[in-house]
Amino acid sequence: MDLAFTPEEQTFRETIRAWVQTNLPADLSHKVHNALRLSRDDMQRWAKILGKKGWLGHGWPKEFGGPGWNSIQKHLFEEECALAGAPRVVPFGPVMVAPVIMTFGNAEQQQRFLPGIASGEVWWSQGYSEPGSGSDLASVKCKAERVGNKFLVNGQKTWTTLGQYGEWIFCLVRTSTEGKPQTGISFLLIDMKSPGVTVRPIVLLDGEAEVNEVFFDNVEVPAENLIGEENKGWTYAKHLLSHERTNIADVNRAKRELERLKRIAKAEGLYADSRFKDEIAKLEVDVVALEMMVLRVLAAEKNGKQSLDIAGLLKIRGSEIQQRYSELMMLAAGPYALPLIQEAMEAGWQGDTVGAAYCAPLASTYFNMRKTSIYGGSNEVQRNIVAQTVLG
Amino acid sequence: MNFDFTDDQEQLRDAVRKWVDKGYSFERRREAVSAGGFSRAAFNEIAELGLCGLYVSEADGGMGMGPVEGMVAMEELGRGIVLEPLTQSLIAGGVLSGYAPDAVKAQWLPNIASGEALVVLAYQERGARYQLNVCASKAAQTPAGWAVTASKSIVSAGDMAEAFIVSATVGDKIALFLVERSASGVTARGFGTQDGSRAAELTLANTPATLITLDGLTALEHAVDIGIAATCAEAVGVMDKAMAITAEYMNTRKQFGVVISSFQALRHRAADMKMQLELARSMSYYAALKLNAPAPERRAAMARAKYQLGNSMRFVGQQAVQLHGGIGVTNEYIVSHYFKKLTQLEMTFGDTLHHLSEVSDRMQDTAGVFA
Repeated sequence: MDLAFTPEEQTFRETIRAWVQTNLPADLSHKVHNALRLSRDDMQRWAKILGKKGWLGHGWPKEFGGPGWNSIQKHLFEEECALAGAPRVVPFGPVMVAPVIMTFGNAEQQQRFLPGIASGEVWWSQGYSEPGSGSDLASVKCKAERVGNKFLVNGQKTWTTLGQYGEWIFCLVRTSTEGKPQTGISFLLIDMKSPGVTVRPIVLLDGEAEVNEVFFDNVEVPAENLIGEENKGWTYAKHLLSHERTNIADVNRAKRELERLKRIAKAEGLYADSRFKDEIAKLEVDVVALEMMVLRVLAAEKNGKQSLDIAGLLKIRGSEIQQRYSELMMLAAGPYALPLIQEAMEAGWQGDTVGAAYCAPLASTYFNMRKTSIYGGSNEVQRNIVAQTVLG
Repeated sequence: MNFDFTDDQEQLRDAVRKWVDKGYSFERRREAVSAGGFSRAAFNEIAELGLCGLYVSEADGGMGMGPVEGMVAMEELGRGIVLEPLTQSLIAGGVLSGYAPDAVKAQWLPNIASGEALVVLAYQERGARYQLNVCASKAAQTPAGWAVTASKSIVSAGDMAEAFIVSATVGDKIALFLVERSASGVTARGFGTQDGSRAAELTLANTPATLITLDGLTALEHAVDIGIAATCAEAVGVMDKAMAITAEYMNTRKQFGVVISSFQALRHRAADMKMQLELARSMSYYAALKLNAPAPERRAAMARAKYQLGNSMRFVGQQAVQLHGGIGVTNEYIVSHYFKKLTQLEMTFGDTLHHLSEVSDRMQDTAGVFA
């Protein structure tokens, strides 16, 4: 047992840190460190910088042009990016659909789609949830009917994060109503510029249009866009979900945000209030314990061990922590979190924020973070999964 | 970065688990509780496994092992809610090895390792709660050496031990002394504690003592930190077994015609227990892996670990009882004894609010495991 990173891992970290320092645009890290609004351009600018270096698909194996890093190296890369204030990589392309294409797609699909994902040129969206299919994802109804060498897609997806920017969308579609719901689902890649695709943004409680409804009205999709076999899509989707547990815990961002919380609390004079300070201290231990749990999972992966049965806990704990730091930051601002000034979310705005400038986005972030215990399988669904490991 | 156990560590775990499963039945434990809460025979068996000498060098008759081996042994003893305090032998081995003069080491370490001498830490005083720097006990130099006059509270197995590590002030500084129970002026009044084990109120009246170190607070903090890491590991074992007992019960007990493990409200509670257990296990690893760090880093880490463990212990213990229903609050059934053990461990070497305060006071601007 050893808590230390190896000298090689330390050197690796230094290399990443130096590169991020040189290549991360200051205006982007300023926005991230201050929770200001990131435009499509901002997000894609950083994606393309990473793509040029070959690191947008930083989890990819070498045979597909990735760096071939192990789980610890990936973690160190993500940590250095997060601490430096890099925008989060929009995961739908490089982290979510790419591994499915690599594992289950054919050579033509790999050659056709992977380069655009790796470079950050093509914006991908996720078409999973539907109005009637949230936690019960296997009940999806969006229908794809095979007509000759095409699929005809009709139905609706929803909660499509940043889908208003999407160029391609990977969808779970219903190709059969025979047997169990899981066995009639296919994994289809759809060009969002196809006739019949309509995207309608949904304004969330923080006033931002972060998610969308996507409607498919007789959309023609070439059969060559089907991943793997028809009616096997559920298996592919599960494969994708199993890859995302440590990522969704987002402990690196939690560390950065805990540091920001401390700065805000200090600036607001709250370190003199032991009741408030103790709440930060509790969160500090929560973050350390989560990080230890993440490191246990990563170290097991690196050593080629079966993944620990604690992976399901990471999403629950990580999301609770994200909600808690955003809550404490808002509470630290106190009454100055209340003015709703949308312009103050833009970098460089010079108007009156009433409280200190850092107060302006805190309530919006708090509201926004309520999503974390709902998406990716609600925390209640996660508890069902954890209970399965305890009780069978 | 590696959280695997070596083959030797796995063998150690197997050996201790085998002894607990075969040699330390609930019935044997119950008899020990009735007999006062300490079985010398059981303690000797623990010593025969080599556990008392884990932190004693091979040259001094021990195993020369480290915090991870200590953690493994304590986890396994925790699974059997063993009464006999190995934690105390780990503390004594660690503190004497680290701070005592060579002659004291040569005299005591082999006996600590063999189990012939149970040496326990006598540091708490009435009114001091968990503070280590509050010490009314005094030591003075005599022609023959040192003499200590002290009142120490809730000393683990105090009337069964061969000797004590006692904190007492010399001038305005705390020093640590080794005091034999057979020495003149020693009174140890024993009593049972809530978990079924044993403690004593110890008074020393001008009692001859051997100096361990004049830098006593440094050594005492280290002693308590060894105790915290051991307690965290022990608690993980207790919780692990309590969870297993609870899961088995839930899969057996029927109400409304079905096993109660089919009810979602109860399943979610079990998931929450699993969460607390794994957070606790993670922080017990953290404590073990930080136990040899420089003092400020070590102290901060132990406070973080004990804070997490305290919360986990309380939750897992209470819910283990709750999920058993009525049988959970009986003295006859095993789970209540796990709950009481967890309750006592939470309040040993600083309770959860005490350590929250430590974490809060030590908080830096940075965050995370490596901060």
